[in-house]
Amino acid sequence: MQEDFHYYATYCAAYLAGYTHEESLDIAYSAQFVDLCSRTLLAKIKAPLNAATTQLQLELMDARTDQVGLQDITRIWSAFHFLPRDLKAEKPGCCKRYLDKYRLICGPNGELVAKTVEYAKGKPLQSVGIAMHVLADTWAHSNFAGTPSLVINNTNYVFYELFPDGDGYREKQITFVHKASSPDDLDNSIYTNSLYQANENSIMNLGHGRAGHLPDYSFARYKYLPAWGEYSELTKDNPRDYVKAFTQMIYAMKFIRGEYDLFETETYDMQAIEPYRERIRSIIEKRQIIANDDWKAFGEELSGQTIEEHIIDKYFDEYTKSAKNEKDHTFLGRFIRGAIGHKGMVIGEIQKTGNKIAGKAK
Amino acid sequence: MTGFQRVKKVLLGLLMLAVAIGFMMEPSDEIYMAIVAILALGLAIEGIKDVVFYFMMARHMVGGKMILIQGVIILDFGLFTASLTDVPKIYILLYLIGIHAFSGVVEVLRAMEAKRAVEGPWKLKFSHGLVNFALAIACLIFIRNSNTALLIYSIGLIYSAIINILTAFRKTTFILIE
Repeated sequence: MQEDFHYYATYCAAYLAGYTHEESLDIAYSAQFVDLCSRTLLAKIKAPLNAATTQLQLELMDARTDQVGLQDITRIWSAFHFLPRDLKAEKPGCCKRYLDKYRLICGPNGELVAKTVEYAKGKPLQSVGIAMHVLADTWAHSNFAGTPSLVINNTNYVFYELFPDGDGYREKQITFVHKASSPDDLDNSIYTNSLYQANENSIMNLGHGRAGHLPDYSFARYKYLPAWGEYSELTKDNPRDYVKAFTQMIYAMKFIRGEYDLFETETYDMQAIEPYRERIRSIIEKRQIIANDDWKAFGEELSGQTIEEHIIDKYFDEYTKSAKNEKDHTFLGRFIRGAIGHKGMVIGEIQKTGNKIAGKAK
Repeated sequence: MTGFQRVKKVLLGLLMLAVAIGFMMEPSDEIYMAIVAILALGLAIEGIKDVVFYFMMARHMVGGKMILIQGVIILDFGLFTASLTDVPKIYILLYLIGIHAFSGVVEVLRAMEAKRAVEGPWKLKFSHGLVNFALAIACLIFIRNSNTALLIYSIGLIYSAIINILTAFRKTTFILIE
C-alpha cells in the first residue's frame, strides 16, 4: 500500500472510528511513517536503530543474506509489512527449512493481527498508527512473505490482469518490465517488477517484488501462480480487499477507543461506511498510480478540516532538540517506543513456534 | 544484486580472463588439466547444490523441477569432466568447445524465457548466448589447427569474462515495497 491508503485513507478510517481531526492526523502520520522510518533516517536524528520499520533500497542492496542478515531483514518486513497469517501452518511433506518460510506468508485475519490491534490498545496514538499500517498491509500484501525466498515469493509469466466485463472478467496478460525509472503503464497492463534471481535468499525475492506494485494498487484485480501454491491459480481482488481493510481499520480503532471489549477477526464495520459506500468504491476502483487527491478530498469532506500533506521531518526538531530523558515523550519518541514494542511482540511470537528465521526478540 | 553477488561475478570474470590468458601464453598439458580439474569441481559443487535445494525447497515451488533438471545436468557435466584424464588435448579442447556451445544455447533459451515474462534485460543474455555459440562453431571449423582453435576459444572466454564483469556493475531493478 502507498501513501494514499496509509496516510489519507487511514485518516478517514480514524475519523469514522470517532477520533478527532487532530488525533486522526497523528494516527495517519504514524501509519505512513512506518514506510519511512529506516535506519538511515534514525541515524540522522540519533534515534535507536532497532526501531527501524523499513529498509531503504540502498540499505537492502547492501544487506547481507547470511543467517544474521536474513534475520534482520525478516524482523523488519515480517513485523511491519508482511504480518504472517498462520505461524503454525502445515504443508504435507515439507522440511522445516521450507515450513519456516511458508509460515511467514502474510494474510489478513490471522492471530497475529489480533495481537497487533490488542497490543495498541491503551498505548499512544503513534502505536495505533503503526497497528493500522500493519493491519492494512495484511490485505494488500497477502500471499507474499516478508523474508527473501524464491520458493515462496516467485512468480512467472502466468500473470493476468482482470477487467470487469458483464457478469464476469476479461483477462489480459500482464507484461513485466525492469525499468524502475518509468512509471507503470496502466492502460496497457505493463508493470515493473524485480528481476528473477535463482538464489533462494536474493533480496530480489523479498515480499511482492516479483509481482511489482500490483498489490499496492487498490484498483487491481489479477490472477497468477504463487510459487508456493502447487500450481493453483490465485485470484487477487484488491477493490474487495481494500474495502475490507478500510472497514476492519474502523472496527479495530473503535475497539482501541473502547467501543468494543473484544477484537474479533473477520469483523468489518460496514455500517460506518454505508453513507459513503459508492464514494469509497469509486476511489478504490479508479485506475491511477496513486489516489492521494481523492482520499484527501474525501477526508476533508468528512471532517470539514484541511488535511495537511505528510511531511517526513515534521517532528524531527522536536525530537532532536529535546533532552535525553524527554525524548520518549516526544511524538517520534512515542513512535519509536511503539515500533520497538510491536517488533518485539511479533518476533517473540515467531520465535515461540520454534522458527528462528526472525531471530530473537531483544 | 547484492554487493557480494557483484563481487562474485567480478571474481568469476577475472578467473575466466586468467584462464584465457593462460591458454594464449602457455597452452601446455598442465594448463589443460588444471582447467579441467577446476571446471569439474565447480560444476559438481553447483550441481549438488541445485539437487539438494530442489529436494529441500524447490520441489514445492511452481517451476521447481527446472532446478532439479539443471542440477542433474550440471552434476553430470562435472562428473564427466572429472573423468577426462589421459585424453589427447584435442578431445579436451573439443569438450571445452562443447560446453561453451551448450552454455550459449542455454543462455539463448533463458533469454527467450525471460522475454516471455518481461521486456528488457533479455537482449544482453541473448546476444551473449549467440556469440558464445558462434565462437564454439568457429573453434570447431578450425579444430585441425589446434592453436587457432585455442585462440578463438580464448577470445570467447575473454568475451564472457567481460560480459560477467559488466553485468556485475549493471543497475538492477528493485521494487520498493510500501
